[in-house]
Amino acid sequence: MLEIHDLKAAYGQVQVLHGISLNVPQGQVVTLIGSNGAGKTTTMRAVSGMLKPSAGRIMLGSKDITGLPAHRIAKIGLAHSPEGRRVFPTQSVRDNLLLGAFTRLTLGGKRPRGDIQGDLEKALDLFPRLRERQHQLAGTLSGGEQQMLAMARALMLKPEVLLLDEPSMGLAPILVDEVFHIIGRLKEQGITMLLVEQFAAAALGVADYGYVMENGRIAVHGPATQLRNDPKVQAAYLGGSASH
Amino acid sequence: MDILMQLLMSGIALGMIYAVIAFGYQSTFATSGTLNFGQGEALMLGAMVGLSINGDVLGGPYTNYWLMIPLVLLFGALQGVVVEFIAVRPAIKSKSEFGWIMSTIALGIIFRNVAENIWGRDDMPFPSPLPTAPIHILDANVLPMELMVVVGALLMMLLVELFNRRSIYGKAVVATSSDRDAAGLMGINTGLVITFSYALSSMSAAFAGVLIAPITLTGASMGAVLGLKAFAVAIIGGLTSGLGVIVGGILLGIAETTTGFYLSTGYKDVPGLVLLLLVLAIKPSGLFGKTTIKKV
Ligand SMILES: Nc1ncnc2c1ncn2[C@@H]1O[C@H](COP(=O)(O)OP(=O)(O)OP(=O)(O)O)[C@@H](O)[C@H]1O
Ligand SMILES: [Mg+2]
Repeated sequence: MLEIHDLKAAYGQVQVLHGISLNVPQGQVVTLIGSNGAGKTTTMRAVSGMLKPSAGRIMLGSKDITGLPAHRIAKIGLAHSPEGRRVFPTQSVRDNLLLGAFTRLTLGGKRPRGDIQGDLEKALDLFPRLRERQHQLAGTLSGGEQQMLAMARALMLKPEVLLLDEPSMGLAPILVDEVFHIIGRLKEQGITMLLVEQFAAAALGVADYGYVMENGRIAVHGPATQLRNDPKVQAAYLGGSASH
Repeated sequence: MDILMQLLMSGIALGMIYAVIAFGYQSTFATSGTLNFGQGEALMLGAMVGLSINGDVLGGPYTNYWLMIPLVLLFGALQGVVVEFIAVRPAIKSKSEFGWIMSTIALGIIFRNVAENIWGRDDMPFPSPLPTAPIHILDANVLPMELMVVVGALLMMLLVELFNRRSIYGKAVVATSSDRDAAGLMGINTGLVITFSYALSSMSAAFAGVLIAPITLTGASMGAVLGLKAFAVAIIGGLTSGLGVIVGGILLGIAETTTGFYLSTGYKDVPGLVLLLLVLAIKPSGLFGKTTIKKV
């Protein structure tokens, strides 16, 4: 569904991605793990159009999305819940969710409209904390609630592929479990996902396939179960032993 | 007739004009961090086009005042699109931090020159659509057109506010103002939103132009001082606060009319500028603003 070939990207003169290739098949969850600064966020930004790649090719389904502006990539069906949440603080939770469905609500939006009210209800069912706060301004939510809003907002696009960049960042342990539980439920619904996570063990627990990134390159990749049992991966990313 | 009340009323009408122009400054600043320093010229062009449709300067009149307004609004919007396209977009693209300042000023000067060539340099009267006999309100003589200024200005700002809150397109404008990258991820064409905000900005100025023209005179040089004072109002009220420009505009309007009467009309521009300097020294984000520092 999402295919990335030899992707390179730079911030100014500093090259950060040195040729990334990865593949997210339809209906699967693929995780991208790696230490801080490895280039995971940069990869996602290059895919969703927040950053123009300097080389490589990105295919979403049958469409070449390399170098397109973010809004056009969104219209083709890619949703990105970015690092650091980036909710719209001066607007209500509900408005944030409606903005997530912007490509379905508008004339030039191109995505099928479907049942927006129904999807809004489903999103609020998935994140009951948001339902209680739907008329509150997003900027007044706690960090964890904002993280959930960022995920729910991305879901409102009804994407072909969903990019989640550290959905557990800054959450209390109990909420981290909840987030992974929700990712599991989304997977059951058949949503194709690329997941970046610091909790590598949990990410490999929910994912079908995994890629390990080091210094802007893919170091190891393989089926999630295989990576979990790889001694090198265990030593570097799973704290020595797989916890799940 | 109570003279102070009279000065207050005139000050409010003048202040609402400043508020409408300042509102235009805010609209582009919110979405793009840039300002159209040709706002005064946008106002002048609106008034001149209005006069051409509504008066006899170019073979008219073609319609009455009320039908002229939507035409002028449309013209203002298109003029704003031109400004954005020529003066602002290239500067944003090249990430030039201050390029837009020079280019919007330059374009403003060009617009003024063009206007001088089409309509001449002389000030012309603008036919008033309402009776010119003042009516008595709270011990003061108020021109019906002054009332129209206040009502029109408030109505316009209210409509924009409703658009921002109620419609998905307005929500997209607000989202672009708070986080342009995140708005792009929603599928919002943020470049188009910036163009739209320029259209709205010049449209506000053009509207202010046809509101004030029947009270003052119309001419190619009418915009410069108004644009500058409205800029002071935008700074005084805060570049991010809608309420701020109304309060700031009224403060400045009243300061001018009272100084003009009690001191000398020669000094009527001083209080506004003093107020501006005070606000910049004490609360740089404006009386109502949160922050003025924003990434371009
Ligand atoms: N806006 C930027 N400008 C310059 N360099 C940047 C920028 N953003 C990231 N980098 C650099 O690019 C490299 C990769 O960063 P990236 O954010 O992609 O890492 P990451 O794998 O997501 O790390 P983390 O786990 O900490 O989120 C880092 O060396 C970082 O310093
Ligand atoms: Mg990151």
